[in-house]
Amino acid sequence: MVSAISFSSAIGEMASRLLGLGTVRCEAGNLSSHLRVLLADSDVERATALELRLHEITDAVIFRVPAGSTLLDVVAAQAPDVIIVDMARPDRDALDDLRRVGADNPRPVVMFIDRDDRAFMEEAIAAGVSSYNVVGAYNVVGAAFPDVKPIVTAAVAIFRRYQQVADDLHSARMQLKERETVNRAKSMLMKQRDIGEPQAYRWLQRRAMNENKRIADIAAALLDEGGEKGAPK
Amino acid sequence: MTRGSVFRIGVLRLTDAASLIIARELGYFAREDLDVALSVEPSWSNIADKLAYGLLDGAMMPPPLALALQLGLSGSDGPEAIIVPAALSLNGNTVTLSERWAAPMLDVAPLSAIDNVRRFTAVLRKRRTKPVLAVVHTFSTHNLLLRYWLATGGINPDREVTFTVVPPADTVEAMATGKIDGFCAGAPWGEIAARAGLGRTVATSHAIWNHGTEKVFAARRAVAERQPDRLQAALRALLRASLYCDTPEHAQSVAEILSHPHYLGLPTEIILTSLPGAATRRSGGGYASADVSVFAANGATYPWRSHAQWFLQQMTRWGYIGSDVDCSAACDAFRPDLYAEAARSVGISIPTISVKSEGYHDATWHLPALPTAIAMGPDRFLDGARFEPVWPPSRQD
Repeated sequence: MVSAISFSSAIGEMASRLLGLGTVRCEAGNLSSHLRVLLADSDVERATALELRLHEITDAVIFRVPAGSTLLDVVAAQAPDVIIVDMARPDRDALDDLRRVGADNPRPVVMFIDRDDRAFMEEAIAAGVSSYNVVGAYNVVGAAFPDVKPIVTAAVAIFRRYQQVADDLHSARMQLKERETVNRAKSMLMKQRDIGEPQAYRWLQRRAMNENKRIADIAAALLDEGGEKGAPK
Repeated sequence: MTRGSVFRIGVLRLTDAASLIIARELGYFAREDLDVALSVEPSWSNIADKLAYGLLDGAMMPPPLALALQLGLSGSDGPEAIIVPAALSLNGNTVTLSERWAAPMLDVAPLSAIDNVRRFTAVLRKRRTKPVLAVVHTFSTHNLLLRYWLATGGINPDREVTFTVVPPADTVEAMATGKIDGFCAGAPWGEIAARAGLGRTVATSHAIWNHGTEKVFAARRAVAERQPDRLQAALRALLRASLYCDTPEHAQSVAEILSHPHYLGLPTEIILTSLPGAATRRSGGGYASADVSVFAANGATYPWRSHAQWFLQQMTRWGYIGSDVDCSAACDAFRPDLYAEAARSVGISIPTISVKSEGYHDATWHLPALPTAIAMGPDRFLDGARFEPVWPPSRQD
C-alpha cells in the first residue's frame, strides 16, 4: 500500500515538474520532419507520463484525444503517423475499420506488429497497449519500424508501471478487507465462546489447516453462516 | 493455481454472451472440472489480439471476424491460429433508425422489414442527404446484414449512406447526440434506444435472414491439438448452458445474472426483451423493438460451414475479399467434427451434413440429424434469395 502510493505520487510529481518543460516543446521549426504520435489514452496521468517519456527519447510531436472528440475525428484532423491506443478503449474497433484500404480511406492504418518478438507483443497486449502506424504518412517518409519500436516500448513500460500500481493497490485493499474479516470472525468467536483473542485466532488457524483453506476464507464462511452452525462447541 | 490451468474465455457485454456467462455462473464449467476465467473485453479487437497471442483460450466472436482473422484481414496476425468448434447464437440484432428517419417511414403502421427498407429508400432519395449508419465492427454480422437490408431496398451502401464504427454500448449515446442516424447492433441496444424515445427498430436480423448464425465460439487451435480433453469439456459445458439459456422459464434468472455490473450492467427487464419467450416483454410501437436470441434450438450451436460460406460470399460482395481469394482454408476453421464429439456426449442431435441450403423454408421443417431430426424454423432471406452451399465445403473454389 505504502509503496503503491509513494510510487504513484512520485509519478505525479515528476509529471507536474516536467509538464512546465513540456510546454516549450518544438513548436517552431519544420514540423514535417517530426513523427506525429497520437496517444489515445483516457488515463490522463498515464498519458502525461508517457508523453514526457517520449519527449525524452524522441522529437516526436504528441497529440491526445480531447474530451468529447472521437478517436476517428482526431485521426482525421491530426493525421498522426503513429497511434498508441489504450486497449481498454471500446472505440479501438473503429480504428480497426481504418485498416481497410479504400477510396474513402486513402491512408490506411496498420497495426504495429513485431513478428520476431512474440514475448514483446504478449507483454504489450497484457499491459493493454496496442499501436498502429499510418501508411503513406504526410510526414517524413512514413513511420519506419526502427522509429516506431522505441515509442511502443516506452508505452508498454509506462502502462506496465501503472498496471503494477493498480495491482498493488488492489491487493492492498484485499489484504485490508481480509484482515477486517478475520477480526470480525475473531470477535464473534470470542463473544460466542467467551474465549480470548489468541484462542479465537488459533481456532481459525486450526480449521484452516484441517480444511486446507486460507484463514480469511474460513473467517468469511464463518461470518456467512452467521456464526450458528460453524461455531465451535 | 497456475496460469495454465485456468481456461480463459473472452466475452463482450452482449445478450448473446449468455451461454458462456451461464456456464460459468451456474457451474457447468466447474462440473467439467474446468476452472474458467471470463474476461469481459471492451472491443472485438481486444478479443482477436488476445486469442492471437495466447492470452485467451477461447472467446465469443462474430463469424465474419473469425473468417477475417483466418484471411489476415483483421487482427494482429499473431502466432496462434483459431478454430470455430461451436456457435453461440442465432438472430438478435436490430436495425434502429433515429426518430427523424424512422418517423416518416412508420407513420402508417408497423410494416415488415422489406416494406421498411423501401420506405427508407424513398425518404433517403427525397432528402438527398447521406445518413450516417453505425455498425459495431467492419467484420461483423451487423455490417453484412445492414448492407443486405439496404441493398434489398435498392440503396448502394457504399455511396448513399456513410458507414461508421461505434461500439455497441455507445450507439444510443451517439444517436442521442446526433452523431449517427441509425445503427445495427446486438441486443439489447435497439431496445434501449426505443425506450429512450430516440429511435425505432425498422428491421431485425431475423427478418433479414431467418436464423442466421450470430456469434460463434472461437478457440485457439493449439488448445484443440494439445489439450483436446479440455476443449471438449468446455464445449460440453457450453452446450448444456445453451439448453438452459434457451428455456423461456429460465429467462428471468439468465437476465438477472447477465445484468450484474461485471457483465452487461443493464437492467434485468431490458435484457429480458432479448431472451427466449420475450414476445410479451417488448416495448410497444415500431415493427418489433427487439430481436430474440436463439441459443440452442434450431441447431443454433452447430458451426455451419455453409453459414461461413454465406458470410464469405457477402464479404466478397462488398469488396472486403478479392474475388480471386481462395476462402476454403477460412471455411475449414469451422469444425463440426469437434462439435459432434461434444454434442454426442451431451445428447444433442448432430446434423448429418455440415452444409445446408438457405432460403428454401417458409415454415418449420426437419433437419436430418442423429439420433433424431432437429426441428428447424424458416431460413428465408428478406429478398427471397436462395443460397446454395459449395460442396465439398473444404474446396471453396
